[in-house]
Amino acid sequence: MAHAPRNPALVPGVSRFSRSQSYAKAALFKKKKQAAKSKAAAPAATKTKTVGGAKNGKSRAVLAAKAPRFYAAEDAPVPKVTRKTIRPVALRSSITPGTVLIVLSGKFAGKRVVFLKQLASGLLLVTGPFKVNGVPLRRINQAYVIATSTKVDLSGVKVDEKFNDDYFKRAKEGKKQATEEELFEAGKKQPTAEHRVADQKQVDKAILAAVKKTPYLKAYLNSSFSLSKGQFPHLLRF
Amino acid sequence: MVFSRFVEVGRVVLITYGPDAGKLAVIVDIIDHSRVLVDGPTTGVERQAISFKRATLTDLKVKVPRTLGTPALAKALEKQDLAGQWKKTAWAKKIESRTLRAQSSDFDRFKLMIARRKVG
Amino acid sequence: MVNERPHRLYAKGRVLGFTRSKRNTKEHTSLLQLEGVRTSEDTQFYLGKRVAYVYRAKRVIDGSRIRVIWGRITRPHGTSGAVRAKFRSNLPPRSFGAGVRVMLYPSRV
Repeated sequence: MAHAPRNPALVPGVSRFSRSQSYAKAALFKKKKQAAKSKAAAPAATKTKTVGGAKNGKSRAVLAAKAPRFYAAEDAPVPKVTRKTIRPVALRSSITPGTVLIVLSGKFAGKRVVFLKQLASGLLLVTGPFKVNGVPLRRINQAYVIATSTKVDLSGVKVDEKFNDDYFKRAKEGKKQATEEELFEAGKKQPTAEHRVADQKQVDKAILAAVKKTPYLKAYLNSSFSLSKGQFPHLLRF
Repeated sequence: MVFSRFVEVGRVVLITYGPDAGKLAVIVDIIDHSRVLVDGPTTGVERQAISFKRATLTDLKVKVPRTLGTPALAKALEKQDLAGQWKKTAWAKKIESRTLRAQSSDFDRFKLMIARRKVG
Repeated sequence: MVNERPHRLYAKGRVLGFTRSKRNTKEHTSLLQLEGVRTSEDTQFYLGKRVAYVYRAKRVIDGSRIRVIWGRITRPHGTSGAVRAKFRSNLPPRSFGAGVRVMLYPSRV
């Protein structure tokens, strides 16, 4: 009998375990990965063969691969063809470049930030701007933001292509023998990389100019969102 | 306590429930102690019997004869400027400010907060 | 992160009990009443949202006495604004009447 699904749906669309949890459960990372074989061009099904004898027409088309003389006693397992494809994450229609977003969780919860673009991974690239509310160039999942109807006019602003998912990857530190000094240093905050600071300034410059065009918008971005008594999110319009 | 809002022909009612909620209508005829025949050609209310469970009386009254037909009522309401009279009442203003507040965006609320700080 | 003013980024709710029939209780699903939510149409906003039942316990774990049971709002319950929620581990009965935090994520607006 088939067992119950390991990851039952609480409701359609809400499953018991998160993607990462079910991945951990399935333990796919333990299995050996097999590289997908590239499909070679199908070899010709027939080949021509020269035939002796005057009346035999000299050449004849013969099947390239002979049919097997007998069938295998046991069926060889054939892996199922996956028909699923990875599709790009759809962006909510309420989020367009320049939209002011309210961050809902994490270090910057409650902050109002400006959306720049969606990255290939589906994450949103946002910036505070850093000078206004201390939020740096950052990636954020759209599930954790509220899109407001307020938009910053970013029509003249171009976001550099270099801001992709790789840009935000953490540099991997090789394992080193811990020295006494490093152990003391470990807890200390590392200064922000200089190129990051420069990038931040360069991106924010144009955005700040656009923000300044609308009165109170800068102060708005500087303030943080919170619910007060008698405010119910289902009745609020953002 | 003296009553001034009576159930009478020409009395303007505000419908509070159902598809016509929030619309004004005028009493054209009285059916019994709890139901009246109302009509609101200028506000898009069909001529219908309505219970006072679904409508409340307002202070406004228009001068119309009993069981006046819909086209004639429309003319009378235009002439007596019901919409204008209603707009002037505190009730209407309150409803308007309430809808305005409900529709305000996050940025609008922020600007309101700033404005309030300046006044206070 | 420095925030001078206290800021609330969740809606408030209250645990009503478990779903149940006349004589049996189904502990796997809890009923919540959300503040300001009076109709099943109002609950639409909250469906799928994460819920946290935050409580205090005696024993210190990882330097904190505060513990959380996370859950999700699954569907409306009736037409008067109550909702059903599933928690990672079923809520303890002492949570009945206690407040829960309804987070604003996963967001759909």
